[in-house]
Amino acid sequence: MNVLSMLLIAGAEGGPSDFLMFLGRIHPLVVHLPIGFLLLAALVEWVVKKPQFQPIKNYTYYLWGLGSISAFFAVLFGYFLSLSGDYNESTLFWHKWVGVAVLLFSLVCYFLSKKQWKLPAYGKPVLIFLVVFAIFYTGHLGGNLTHGSTYLLEYAPNVVRNFAGMPDKAVPREKVTVLDSADVYLDLISPILDRRCVSCHNDDKKKGDLNLNTYANLVLGGESGEVMVPGDSNASDMYRRITLPETHDEFMPTEGKPPLSADEVAMIGWWIQVQAPSRGFFVDLEPDEEIKNKVEKYLGLDKNQLLSQTVQPAKREVVDSLSNFGFILNSLMSDNHFLEANFSLSEQPLKPQVLETLYGLNEQLIWLNMSNSDVEDVHLEQIGKLENLIKLNLSTNAITDKGLVHLARLQNLESLNLYKTKVSNGLLELVPQLPNLKRLYISDTQADSTIVAQLQQQHQDLLIEFD
Amino acid sequence: MSKYHNFMRRPLSRREMLTVCKGGFGSLAFMSLFGVSTFSCSRSKGGILAPTSNVQLGPHYLPKAKNVIFLYMDGGVSQVDSFDPKPRLAKENGQDPRKKFKVDATQFDNVGKILKSPWDFKQYGECGMPVSDLFPHIATCVDDIALIRSMTSQFPEHTNANYFLHTGSGLQGRPSMGSWMTYGLGSENKNIPGYVVLDGGLIPPGGLDNFKNGFLPASYQASILRAGPQPVANIIPKEKIPNLQEQKLDFIKQLDEKQLEAVGEADAIESAISNYELAYKMQSSIPELTEFKEETEATKKLYGFDSDDPHTRGYAAQCLLARRLVERGVRFIELTCPKVSADRWDQHGNLKDGHEKNAHAVDQPIAGLLKDLKSRGMLEETLVVWTGEFGRTPFAQGLDGRDHNPSAFSMWMAGAGIKGGTIFGKTDEYGYRVIENEVTVHDLHATIMHLMGIDHERLTFRFGGRDMRLTDVHGHVIKDVLA
Repeated sequence: MNVLSMLLIAGAEGGPSDFLMFLGRIHPLVVHLPIGFLLLAALVEWVVKKPQFQPIKNYTYYLWGLGSISAFFAVLFGYFLSLSGDYNESTLFWHKWVGVAVLLFSLVCYFLSKKQWKLPAYGKPVLIFLVVFAIFYTGHLGGNLTHGSTYLLEYAPNVVRNFAGMPDKAVPREKVTVLDSADVYLDLISPILDRRCVSCHNDDKKKGDLNLNTYANLVLGGESGEVMVPGDSNASDMYRRITLPETHDEFMPTEGKPPLSADEVAMIGWWIQVQAPSRGFFVDLEPDEEIKNKVEKYLGLDKNQLLSQTVQPAKREVVDSLSNFGFILNSLMSDNHFLEANFSLSEQPLKPQVLETLYGLNEQLIWLNMSNSDVEDVHLEQIGKLENLIKLNLSTNAITDKGLVHLARLQNLESLNLYKTKVSNGLLELVPQLPNLKRLYISDTQADSTIVAQLQQQHQDLLIEFD
Repeated sequence: MSKYHNFMRRPLSRREMLTVCKGGFGSLAFMSLFGVSTFSCSRSKGGILAPTSNVQLGPHYLPKAKNVIFLYMDGGVSQVDSFDPKPRLAKENGQDPRKKFKVDATQFDNVGKILKSPWDFKQYGECGMPVSDLFPHIATCVDDIALIRSMTSQFPEHTNANYFLHTGSGLQGRPSMGSWMTYGLGSENKNIPGYVVLDGGLIPPGGLDNFKNGFLPASYQASILRAGPQPVANIIPKEKIPNLQEQKLDFIKQLDEKQLEAVGEADAIESAISNYELAYKMQSSIPELTEFKEETEATKKLYGFDSDDPHTRGYAAQCLLARRLVERGVRFIELTCPKVSADRWDQHGNLKDGHEKNAHAVDQPIAGLLKDLKSRGMLEETLVVWTGEFGRTPFAQGLDGRDHNPSAFSMWMAGAGIKGGTIFGKTDEYGYRVIENEVTVHDLHATIMHLMGIDHERLTFRFGGRDMRLTDVHGHVIKDVLA
């Protein structure tokens, strides 16, 4: 005990010494040795009753001995680890003392085996049962200390959870599909904290006495006081620690856990800056463009919203008749039923009923290639009804401005290929009506450089291919 | 070297090509069982299109690229003379490299002095990417190009390095990446196979095993189209009168069908009927593909059809053919190098002359291809990949050559899903070894597959007791070059 206290006093700032902490951290490693030895010993004690295992009976005390020695080190190192004070106290109490019980029981077993003492009645089986039970129980508590008490049954069926006195699995918040419906804490901040911080700052494992699993606990702060000063991110310890250089001692998350992304850091900084509200719509907080873009990206709203919907499989008869008309239909992803249709390789003429049938894929069709297919202005009326189109290739067809007007309803369109068509001024009317258009191909058309310059001026992000 | 050049004296016969095609169509037909048909089956009655594999075709996630054009720079382009300028080589020109850094054993181990690049580098485009005077035309496209300077290979010798680059394994016999792509995605065209190699004159060392299907079904191996008027044997009808041929074919078909009725379903007969029909169709589809009647003079000029150099003209035709194959829905197209007098890019001696001749043959056609694809809006869906199998040493072999260097080389990609104007990875001050962001051949494969909508870890084929992948147990998608 004296040696121990000397080592303890040697520690910096009242905490345990580095060397003790080093040994303490070996506890999770060493702790598996007694588990293995003792369970094996119990197993052997059970099977030696059978004649064919009789010969090993005289060696079982080695197993109990090895188990006891390793249990001793596990207990000792576990004690060192407990000195760091990062753990839930009542769980720790039981983990510690049941662990000590394992050590004592296994020592008793050792002497029983070695000296071949007899116990009255069922004494020995009961003792062995106690060892096994204690191992499982203290092991379970140890798991709770490391991973949190909800870890084991996080994904268990609700029946099992209820049996263990836990509520049903939390229904995840519905995925945000419109920025307007995003809640600032529940949809933005809380998921970041859950993902990056809560594994060390929870009910059981309160590193630095800080718990980040609810807003109320976050406000309570940790051992060095408040971690967040609403309205002043620079004065907030939480913000300071996630923005330090990664190599800095106080950088969070620590212990090699993945750091927050730059956008996540920016979002937390902004949230503290706007008084860290615990609820309310994100858009009501008057975010500027920059943070809006970051939040959209974080929520996956910068991509085409269409693709986040799940569509029904295409109707078999529609697919069959389109195939007979010469369409090639390609599936575009394995977990959804969006389709690409390609008519450019068809050996058959484009008849009016072809496009009428194509409308049967209205929901699934996002890419359409009608290149070099004798498409005329009249056909565009039908094509313009395919509102889910993201890519449309109409190149090398005799279409003009007259047909273009029909395309204005294609609100999802990102890429429009009009290479080698006869379009010109009509583009100036069409393009402003297509909010998602990103790429426009108009080489070899009637459009001239003034039209292109005008389009480019109005839509600076639009890529226009023209020569 | 002659054994490489003469590998493909006999062009692929029409029947061989059909055999290759047949199975592919079968799996396409299988796709229609899943509710998605890849092409019209109206003409093929009677269970001809039987399934050959139980794989559901199609990408895992929304693809960026639909087609790949793989510009293979056979022999290994010197990185320090093309896309990775190293001023230090000029400063230390003529000094002993072994006093400067540790020199690995090379193929010929005839280590000379540090050799500066005979070409100057200039910065091009908005991105300011430096390109040497070897590639004045490609230099005008740098804003569409993502350059990787930190490629490495595992093999310092052509044959193994070629297998590695093409199949993800240095040993002979694994499926080529084009086979994997067509296996995973199928082909859109019923008249042309999904994986085509345009033979520019040089089949790379390792031979046809670079383009084979390995353990994948035979229908996924490459079909090789030769340059010139007869890309596939017997493609010009031998009957003078077209009617006569049709009548002959009809008669054979009648006999076959009679036999079929007698014996019930028989794959061999059914396949024979469809093969004859397809062969007849190919006699029009292949010439239509390889004759450039509807191409304008301006387009041809863009590719370099008017060049004085016959090799430039030849490669220009191959590049234009590649674009036409993409238009026809062919999934994976590889172009091998033209047979210039200097023998590939493998300049163990006479670096300046050899690299100049090779560069002159491919520079303008490649730039023309990129520009043509771009203005047609096809670059959006087509991935163009330019690479050799390894790089070359920054020090001389003998007096004026460069030896093989698998520790660093440069490659680039352009088109679908690629972030143009990017430079990724870094080599040391001599361009000898990668010092930052190494990209392995497995990583390259993973990235190409990613762009095609394929998760390289999920496209597998069970062989030899385990699920095989193009990337084996390796490969990371290089996100930094993606748009």
